[in-house]
Amino acid sequence: METEATRSILPLLAFALPLVAAVLTAPVQRVSERARAALLLVVAASVAVMTLVLAAGAAGGSVYDTYILQLTPQIWMYLRVDAAGALFGATVAVLWLLALVYSLGYMRGEHRLGRYYGFFILCLAWTLGLAYAGNLLTFLIFYELFSILTYPLVVHEETPQAMAAGTKYIVYILVGGTLVLLAIVLTFFSAGVQTFAAGGILSSETDPAMLQAIFWCFLVGFGVKAALVPLHGWVPDAHPAAPAPFSAVLSGVMVAAGSFGIIRTVFQVFGPSLLAAMGVMPYVTGVAGFTVLFAAALAVNQDNLKRRLAYSTISQMAYVVLAVSLLGLESTVGALVHITNHAFMKGGLFLCAGLFIRRLGAYNVRQLDGAARRMPITAACFTIACLGMIGTPPLSGFTSKWYLGLGMLETDRPWLLAVLLGGALMAAIYLLPIVYRMYFREPVITPEDLTVAEGREAPATMLGPLVVATALTVLLGIGASLPGMPVELARLAAEAFFH
Amino acid sequence: MISWPPLLVLFVLTPLVGAVLTPAVSDATGRRSWEWAIGTMLLTSAMAGALIMRVLDEGPFSYVVGGWVAPYGIELHFDEFSASVAVVCLLGLLAVVFSRHYAPAALAPERIPYYYTLLLLNITGMIGFIVTGDLFNLYVFMEILSLSAYALVAISGEKTAEMAAFKYLVMGAVSSLSILFGVGLLYALTGSLNMADVTMRLAGSAKAPLVVAFAALTLGLMVKSALFPLHIWLPDAHAIAPSPVSAILSGLVVKVGILGMLRMYQIAYGSGAIDLSGLNLMLTWLGAISIVMGAFFAVFQDDIKMMLAYSTISNIGYIVMGLGLASSYSLIGATVHVFNHALIKATLFLGAGALIHQTGQRTLSGLAGVGRSMPFTTAAISIGAISIVGIPPTAGFLCKWYIALGALQAGQPLFAVALVFGALLIFVYYIRMVNAFYFRKPQDAGASAVHEAPATMLVPVLVLATLCLVMGVLGSLPLSFIEPAVARLLAPLGGG
Repeated sequence: METEATRSILPLLAFALPLVAAVLTAPVQRVSERARAALLLVVAASVAVMTLVLAAGAAGGSVYDTYILQLTPQIWMYLRVDAAGALFGATVAVLWLLALVYSLGYMRGEHRLGRYYGFFILCLAWTLGLAYAGNLLTFLIFYELFSILTYPLVVHEETPQAMAAGTKYIVYILVGGTLVLLAIVLTFFSAGVQTFAAGGILSSETDPAMLQAIFWCFLVGFGVKAALVPLHGWVPDAHPAAPAPFSAVLSGVMVAAGSFGIIRTVFQVFGPSLLAAMGVMPYVTGVAGFTVLFAAALAVNQDNLKRRLAYSTISQMAYVVLAVSLLGLESTVGALVHITNHAFMKGGLFLCAGLFIRRLGAYNVRQLDGAARRMPITAACFTIACLGMIGTPPLSGFTSKWYLGLGMLETDRPWLLAVLLGGALMAAIYLLPIVYRMYFREPVITPEDLTVAEGREAPATMLGPLVVATALTVLLGIGASLPGMPVELARLAAEAFFH
Repeated sequence: MISWPPLLVLFVLTPLVGAVLTPAVSDATGRRSWEWAIGTMLLTSAMAGALIMRVLDEGPFSYVVGGWVAPYGIELHFDEFSASVAVVCLLGLLAVVFSRHYAPAALAPERIPYYYTLLLLNITGMIGFIVTGDLFNLYVFMEILSLSAYALVAISGEKTAEMAAFKYLVMGAVSSLSILFGVGLLYALTGSLNMADVTMRLAGSAKAPLVVAFAALTLGLMVKSALFPLHIWLPDAHAIAPSPVSAILSGLVVKVGILGMLRMYQIAYGSGAIDLSGLNLMLTWLGAISIVMGAFFAVFQDDIKMMLAYSTISNIGYIVMGLGLASSYSLIGATVHVFNHALIKATLFLGAGALIHQTGQRTLSGLAGVGRSMPFTTAAISIGAISIVGIPPTAGFLCKWYIALGALQAGQPLFAVALVFGALLIFVYYIRMVNAFYFRKPQDAGASAVHEAPATMLVPVLVLATLCLVMGVLGSLPLSFIEPAVARLLAPLGGG
């Protein structure tokens, strides 16, 4: 029933290279900071190329796999790159590369840079492992590793706020991880060890109570990471506390990792027909729909820019879960595409937020008045990303919402369009005023305030990644229907799910 | 050569003779006694390697001591399960290596030879306990082990150490008495002390004395293992002992109770003479309570070794819960954790020892910021911490995975929940520890002005930390020894 997998070393290599780089960071930086930067860039760039090659292969219909290690007599650590994994993997690697380049400028002069870069590149390895994991235990291993080992990045600044945010982060994430572990133990007990498979690995003859327990453990466990209300508490604290480039990947792909886990669970552990029979999905739709609107409403009132963006992430990533919960083909395409599109839009927004902090000393929305005059390129990128986030055609945010809307009609739930459009409207309400302030208000930050920051555009190391992220937002929108674009991969993946 | 029969008995005698001769070869600085102890441990380890090769080659084998055939004489027995002596020898060797600089700093010079004597005696007891096939002999080795442990706790001669050792001694002596009573009852019932023989003869014997015998054995063994509420001796003893001793005590000595329980189960299941389901239920509950209580007390400690000591109570809780659930998965999990916990806890205690030795601080607040000055040691401790909480793919994960599966297999899913959430509680204080090392500003220049520990301390810690990772990703290696042993244990029950 599945496509025959091709043995390939590439997934392992893409995962292992950053691991090696992380180990080498400390000795290499003894030589010079330049050498460290070169090492990290070369590794991140080659990993990005590898993931793109894998994605291209997956778009051609291939599935790659590698066995890594035998963990117990029954269980292997096993990587398997299917269309969904390839898409997520490529998104992760490209966004990571952008954030890394940006870090080289942004983090200059910060303390403990060896630790920062070491863990930064290490987490790339875990996230790729998670994207390419071929069975539940492998998924769990990378999920836990990357949840826990991002802690040093969250608390990097070591300020009391950062430490408090870190504590909150680790408590939420560990409780979530524990539930996922429990769910996986229950799954293993019910179904044995199996690779992810279309149509699910759990049999419909399993005890219904057990099935319910497994499902809700998975959903709540991953829901913490995917920031479903009311499990979202760590997100608005962790984002402002973390350094901007890390916020970008935190919002762009880490929250998405939770959604990705839900996708794997729904389509490849349970399977759509079993879930439809269990009748749990309407509840998920309800929770996700509520999250979309509730988080968007909270975002409106945030003055701290990164906090506002964090709430926006909660709202936007709930679209993915909402789409999945419909169990329709088109909406699943929309869910997968939205993960990718959102990664670059939100990544871009956080990179902008970092620039405002570094160049203007502006942490809050009201400090951004007139920012466009000083930083026209940054402001333009910010505006484009905002429009994308709202879902303006032809930007990438529109593409994903289009498929999502199609899915709602396809599964005969047109009233959900109200949530979709309501979320978009709210996004306009919390994002456009910022744009207005940047362009049409007189600056409140006077030149005297700018003793630290220079109040002009940032150097190319920081501006470059931002421009690329913005270009991707435009490109993924305009070129959405071209072959080799995320939509094609997502459609392949979704068709495999519903095979 | 490899199947030379007396090797098995020499294996037990080598550390014993080495121990007795240590004071004789020592010099004023204690340096020579260290070299002697290293030599003894290397020889013992080599023998362990040869014996394990043989058991892999030809399966279990026995040696009859002094030519007195079983069941009359003492029989030493080596099977897959006995391959665990590898862990004992490894930890013993590393603890001795670690002591090179640690012992002179912590002890008066005239005590150093006796310190190595006691350490080697302790290892002897452990090895003998694992390979003997005779109940009374088991008791004797257990006493060698326990007595040397009491003395090792007290060896610094400080008042607190003496108090802790005394507390340990009182509890330990009572438990030994209880075990002796149990062994005596079994002897009275069967007229034999050879375990295989006792198992055979036990079928059909009177019920009441058998229950008393098993109750006495369990009580005694669980005191040795510090199962809640019999744990009160443990925190002080393990926290106050010199760090290499703490590593041995927490890693190996408390496991004696568990290994003894496994022997007891072998007899009980093999003979089918007694139904242990009531006992198992109690052990499962006490195990669960131990996990939570150990974690709860640990959260409030500021002394790093005290935290580690309470963490041992939690981990014993895991293991006992695994024993109590008595399904094949849970027994595999319990057994594998006996050894993985030994490695992990030794990493943590030796790492803590290195920190204390270098900084002179043992509280978390005193150790704030030490991650900068001792990066390798703190990295090793962090790996140990991640491992003991059971984050995959480290060594501690196997235990959580198998015991949780075992709870489902036994039809008691709530214990699986208790287990995974208990682990969460344990994470709380390890997070505090890691935070203190890396993310808190040092209070004074003390903790940040020190240097990394000397190689004799650092190398054992790093070796153990590596093993914490390796035993996790190569979990099938220990399991290939344990799965057949557990299958054999449960075979009389029809598979479990």
